[in-house]
Amino acid sequence: MTKKEKFQLVENYIIEHQNDYYRLAFSYVKNKENALDIIQDSIFKALNSIDRLEEERYIKTWFYRIVVNTSIDFIRKHGRIQAMDDDILHSFLPEQHDLEKDYDLYEAIDHLKEPFKTIIVLRYFEDLKIDEIAEIQNENSNTIKTRLYAALRKLRINMEEKVQL
Amino acid sequence: MKKLQDAKKKYEEVEIPEELNNIVKNSIKEAKRKQKKRKPIKQWGIGLVAAAALFTTSVNVSPALAQSLATVPLLGQFVQVVTFQAIKLDEDTYNADLKTPNVTGLENKELEQMLNEKYIAENEALYEDFQKEMKALEEAGGGHLGVTSTYEVVTDTEDILSISRYEVNTVGSSSTTMRTDTIDKKNQILITLPSLFKNDAYIEAISTYLKDEMAEQMANDSNKIYWIDDQEEIGFEFEAIRPDQTFSITEDHKLTISFDKYEIAPGYMGVLTFEIPTEVISEFLISDYYIK
Repeated sequence: MTKKEKFQLVENYIIEHQNDYYRLAFSYVKNKENALDIIQDSIFKALNSIDRLEEERYIKTWFYRIVVNTSIDFIRKHGRIQAMDDDILHSFLPEQHDLEKDYDLYEAIDHLKEPFKTIIVLRYFEDLKIDEIAEIQNENSNTIKTRLYAALRKLRINMEEKVQL
Repeated sequence: MKKLQDAKKKYEEVEIPEELNNIVKNSIKEAKRKQKKRKPIKQWGIGLVAAAALFTTSVNVSPALAQSLATVPLLGQFVQVVTFQAIKLDEDTYNADLKTPNVTGLENKELEQMLNEKYIAENEALYEDFQKEMKALEEAGGGHLGVTSTYEVVTDTEDILSISRYEVNTVGSSSTTMRTDTIDKKNQILITLPSLFKNDAYIEAISTYLKDEMAEQMANDSNKIYWIDDQEEIGFEFEAIRPDQTFSITEDHKLTISFDKYEIAPGYMGVLTFEIPTEVISEFLISDYYIK
C-alpha cells in the first residue's frame, strides 16, 4: 500500500463514518462546537500520523483511538461543559413520557470515570467487539472484559441509588 | 439490557449538524495542503539520496570556547552553531554543496527559530534555483554549473555571536553573496545595523569614510580597483552603503561592513570587508555597548 493509497483509504473511511465519530465526540463534550473541533483535530492528527497505520484492517480501531484520545484530552484541558439542568431542559423540550429513566442511565454513563465510560460507549453504543476495544485502549481483551463488568456494576449501583431516592 | 438499548437510542438521537460534512472535507483538504507544504524539505532530502551523500552532522564550532563558557557558572546560556543540513550533489558538470547552519541554545526560542528557519529557506531557495538552472542548461545542451553555500562563525564572544553565510554561484564565472547575522547573546536579540545608531547619519559617515579608504588603497596598490569613480564607464559607481548593508561586530568591538563580490569592485577582488574606525561613527552610536 503506497502512502497515496493509504491516504485515500483513510479519507474515504472518515467521510463514510463521520456521523459515528461525531456522535462519539459529542458524547464526551455534549456540545456541537466542541464536538466539531474534536473531529477536525482528529482528522489532522490521523492524516499527519498516517505512517503509523500499518495495515488497512486497523483503520477502524486506529481512528477510534484518535477520536477517543482527542476527546479525553479536550475534556482534560477545557473541563467539561456543564450540561443543562434537567428542569431547564424540560421547559424547552416537548412532553416526554417515561424517558426519565433512560435519561438517568444515559447520564449515569456520562458520570463514569475513564476508562469505564469509554468502554461502555464503545461496547454498547458503537457496538464494537471486546477485541476491538482492547486494541483501541491498548490493553488485552481480559482487562477490557474485567473493566466492562466493573463498569456495569457501577452503573447498577448508581441506578439503585437513584431508584431509592 | 432494555435500559441500555434505550440509552443507546438517546445516544444515536444526537443531531448531526449540517456543517459536519463540510468541516470533515475541509479538514482533509487542509491536512493535504499542509503535507504538500512540508514536501519540499522532504523531497530535497529524498530526491538527492540517490545521487548525493546526505548527512547531518553536529559540529561544535569551537569546543575550546564551549568549554570555557561551561566553566563560567554565571553564563548558563550555551549558544552554539552547528551544521543542520549538508547537501552535496556531485555530477560531472553540476556541483552543489550546501551547508545550513543551525543556532542552538538561545533562550529566546522565537529568535532561534526565526534564524534557523531563515537559514533553511535560504538554502532551499538556492537549491531550487540551482535545479531550475540545471534543467535550463540541460535543455540548452549542457554546461557547467555549481552552487556552494557555507557559513562561518566570524565572532563568538561572551556577548556576541556573528554568523556569516556565503553563497557562491558558478556559471562560467562565479558570484558570491554574503549575509551576516549578529546576535547579542546576553540580551538574546538580533542586532541590525540601523539599531546601532541614533539616526540615518551613519550611512553618510560610513560611506564617506569608505570612499576615502578605497581611494587611498587604490593609490597605494595598483592591483586594487574599486568602483568609486566611474572611470571605466561600467555604469556603476559606489555612492553609499545600503541602510542594511551586511555588517558584523568583531571580537574587539569594532564594526565591519561587507560587500558582495561585484558589488563595489571587479570580481577578482572577491567579497570585501572593511573595518570602520570607531571614531568615524562614534557620535552617531546610541551607546558604546556593542561598538567601542
